[in-house]
Amino acid sequence: MKRREFLKKAGLTMAGAPIVLNNMKLQAIGNSLLLNQAGPNNDRILVVIFLNGGNDGLNMLVPVDQYDQLANVRGNILIPENKLLAGNATNSFHPSALGLKDLFDNGTLGVVQSVGYPNHNRSHFRSTDIYNSASAADVYVDTGWLGRWMDLTYPNFPTDYPNTETPDPVAVTMRSQVAEVCQGQSVNYSYPVEDPFNNNTLPIGAQSPAPDSPYGDELTFLRQTINQSNQYSTIIKSLAGQGALTVNYPDTRLGKQLRNIALLISGGSTTKVYYATMGGFDNHSEQVMASDTTLGDHADLLKELSDAINSFQTDMKAQGLSKKVMGMTYTEFGRRIRSNGSYGTDHGTASPSFLFGECVVPGILGANPTISTSVTQDEGVPMQYDFRSIYGTILKDWFEVPQDAIDSLLFENFQSLPIISPCDAVGNQEIYGTGLKASINPNPFKDNPEITFTVDTSSRAHIQIFDTMGSVVLEVADDKYEPGEHRLPINTEKLAVGVYYCRITMGNGQKTIRLVKQ
Amino acid sequence: MILTKPNKPKSIKFKKFKKPYTRRDLFRKILTPKYQIPQSNYDFLGPSDKGIDPYTGAWTIQEAGHLLRRTCFGPNYQQMKDAVNDGLQATINKLFETPPPPDEPLNSYYTDDPNVAIGESWINMPFVDGLEDDQYAYRHHSLRAWHFDIMMSEGVSINEKMTLFWHNHFVTGDIDEPNALYRYIKLLRENATGNFKQLTKDIAVDAAMLIYLNGNENIVDEPNENFAREILELFTIGKGPLVGPGDYTNYTEQDVQALAKIFTGWQLKNDWSYSITEPLEVVFYDDLHDKTTKTLSAHFNNATVSDNGSDEYKDVIDIIFQQDEVARFIVRKLYRWFVYYDINATVEMNVIEPLAQMLIDNNYDIQPVLKTLLKSEHFFDVLSMGCIIKNPIDYTLTVIKQLGASIPTTFNDRQFWMVYVFYFCAEFGMEYFLPPSVAGWKAYYQAPGFSRIWVNPVTLDLRKQVSAGLIYGFEDDGLTFAISPIDFLQSIDNPSDPNEVVNEFATIMLPRPLADNQKTFLKGVLIPGLPDFEWTMEYNNYLDNPNDINIKISLENKIKDLLYMISILPENHLS
Repeated sequence: MKRREFLKKAGLTMAGAPIVLNNMKLQAIGNSLLLNQAGPNNDRILVVIFLNGGNDGLNMLVPVDQYDQLANVRGNILIPENKLLAGNATNSFHPSALGLKDLFDNGTLGVVQSVGYPNHNRSHFRSTDIYNSASAADVYVDTGWLGRWMDLTYPNFPTDYPNTETPDPVAVTMRSQVAEVCQGQSVNYSYPVEDPFNNNTLPIGAQSPAPDSPYGDELTFLRQTINQSNQYSTIIKSLAGQGALTVNYPDTRLGKQLRNIALLISGGSTTKVYYATMGGFDNHSEQVMASDTTLGDHADLLKELSDAINSFQTDMKAQGLSKKVMGMTYTEFGRRIRSNGSYGTDHGTASPSFLFGECVVPGILGANPTISTSVTQDEGVPMQYDFRSIYGTILKDWFEVPQDAIDSLLFENFQSLPIISPCDAVGNQEIYGTGLKASINPNPFKDNPEITFTVDTSSRAHIQIFDTMGSVVLEVADDKYEPGEHRLPINTEKLAVGVYYCRITMGNGQKTIRLVKQ
Repeated sequence: MILTKPNKPKSIKFKKFKKPYTRRDLFRKILTPKYQIPQSNYDFLGPSDKGIDPYTGAWTIQEAGHLLRRTCFGPNYQQMKDAVNDGLQATINKLFETPPPPDEPLNSYYTDDPNVAIGESWINMPFVDGLEDDQYAYRHHSLRAWHFDIMMSEGVSINEKMTLFWHNHFVTGDIDEPNALYRYIKLLRENATGNFKQLTKDIAVDAAMLIYLNGNENIVDEPNENFAREILELFTIGKGPLVGPGDYTNYTEQDVQALAKIFTGWQLKNDWSYSITEPLEVVFYDDLHDKTTKTLSAHFNNATVSDNGSDEYKDVIDIIFQQDEVARFIVRKLYRWFVYYDINATVEMNVIEPLAQMLIDNNYDIQPVLKTLLKSEHFFDVLSMGCIIKNPIDYTLTVIKQLGASIPTTFNDRQFWMVYVFYFCAEFGMEYFLPPSVAGWKAYYQAPGFSRIWVNPVTLDLRKQVSAGLIYGFEDDGLTFAISPIDFLQSIDNPSDPNEVVNEFATIMLPRPLADNQKTFLKGVLIPGLPDFEWTMEYNNYLDNPNDINIKISLENKIKDLLYMISILPENHLS
């Protein structure tokens, strides 16, 4: 690809992040929900892996029941069917994702299909902020979803920490910057550790009361940061020293991060959240090699990701730790369904999220995306699951946070998902959709079609119409419905001719249906 | 891979310290934290409630140092003392003198460019088919070196801090086309203390901005709103609370759409040009321009903008600048840059509002407003001192310039040295030419942390390494980083008195006076457990035997220990 073509493409990706400085303060949640009485009431650990750049889910977990259509719309990058690694009847893994396929086969990998949010933003910066803060697409929130939980769980941080109940950092990030997901109202809870054996200490420089002035205030902040860093530095070094490894981790960026996380967990750290990052997923070109689509940038990334997670999970299991550790990947968006002319893919919409650990529900949650050969160049994979449903479920089923607190932390109530189980579940369950019955007739349509859906137990149903860019174009219903069959007309007068998606969520179920207006 | 960025020319790991710690035992003792954190101090006094009347109080090294620290990168002791002698007004005048225009950036090492020999300017020189990656790499290397050399060589002047201010304001990032990037930074530098309205007009049709915010793709049939949105939200009037559907208090979605149409038609021509006679240009294509009449919202009095070809963007910028909110928006940003991040109602009333009015009265000339702010009672109030955490560029350049690090003199080495420094800054969070988003670096807008965002355990450790590397010296691939400790010692007034050594060093390097027990602590680094006269004797011994290398090294080591200890104090991150 010529540089000029690339630059034109790159230019398209540089849309800026909108910044709305309306601080959404946690006061809204109220002090009544302070969780510290309960404290972090279990010893479970969450490992978050951010796949920066926008991961092409369709190239990682290929819906083989759509293979012919995929060949039509992304033939230049599609991996030959016989090279794919079979996962279940209708999904196969990229050949470089062998490590994840192994975990899938032995029941320690869960996949949530088509994760996104309404009005999906295709700017890296903005969409990353949305995922980190768990805000809606049109709201700016300057705290992180885990940071808000930590605000409630670790009051008066950092002044009173470390202490006997919380001797270790609340969160550890495996790079030089703090993790935005751990940003609380006034402090970031993550302690950065690039090398656990080599965290140096700094002097304060003799006691003197900080003056009562802005200067004194900044000085106090710096002294606190240094002091805490010194204390945690010693703690981290000692934990890592006590830790053991049972496998050889790959010598890759992610491999090293997960290796250090394993050392700390094995050493007995009480840290609740580890944050690892892996960049490079912005594969506008040369995602695959023209001569061999099983190779290329994305293949390398998937190998690094899969091998590292596989090593980590194997290690945790061998050390008897895998029932208290679960991991989750996220990425700011998926990529377009159609590939581009440079053997790559541009910014899209939804993308699968991968969960690992002995306590995650194994298998694939959700229906495969339906690929139409008439998708436009702009179209991404439509969302089935809101990412905040995953966050909420982790808070509820993993960290055992009360539901009313979760609703405040995530600003509204999101459906919980069957992704975390009591750890004795075995075998590979197939969970498609979740039994929600809904259909639209006629489809394709010219005028106003009708949606029919069945309610088993009285619950709230939310029905929205998205365009192919992931924007909400129509709110059909958001009401409580009694058991029985319901029919609602969808007024499509304002919609131009074209393709849309209807998403209905109800209780734990949801369904995404493709619509064509003619 | 698609594009290789210029490789980091040198490893930036500090593997080669020459004995970073000369007295390990001493350091181990000092580094062991014994300190109890005082009670959190969040209900502190301040910010200052003073206004913008001219400051008439004491004019000492404290005030002069405050002014120079905030406006220059790394003022040295002589510059501070000169400022004391010259007085406040003369120093302000000096800060605003127009700097001489720099020469163009030059090719320092790449031998295969048929059109650009080593030592020649590559500006507007063509690319050669097949060599683009190499040309891209050496030109970006050159641009970084050139730019950092300008900052490094600058004396008492506000120009480079203002250039960085505008880079953080009119953000572009990751601009690959070297000529576009050169023109962008040149535009900012030449107008650093100029007219805000004119600069907004110039930036609207700047090649780098057209690339960064997609103006290049904004055409009549497919308007692209990116630049239109940001010029309102981030560059001029600012986004207020959402008060109605698509209504952000100061502008609406209707305005964004109208502006996008107004800005249609501007395109880059001959970017990555292969022809010497066809250099990069920004061109207005009338047939790509939306010729309809555009109507703005009630926030702009429903103004209409009719087709005016290549002058139409100026018309709408004039309309935007009729709103007083534009002046308040930029004055607040200048205040955060030069004074303090916390703008409360009193500051708003006593500082922001009168300066905004002054900006309007001066038709958006920045200079009178900045001068007024920088010589105001408010600026020199003790509550405005020492309360900004230095950004990584300020921190690094201050260590280098204030302590007088020696900079290579041969052209090629000097260029690599500058790029090395560029990467120091990038490593701890501030890569020039690559702000993290169109909103700029978070330290300048992200509440509640603001400049605290620069600091965390890892970046503190990196800052420490940079200080250690420069003070104790290290070499990497033939590049030397070192200071001359004796020269620095002899630049102060009383080098033979250990109390004065501590005093003067701290006065040069730190924004506020230290407490007595802190000075005692630092004197303990210089002469651990020894009476004062021992220092005087050691120093006199050196003066009597200036050619005795052993005496000199011992003395140097003591000075380095003290400089290093001051440089890693929490106070040294403050300005």
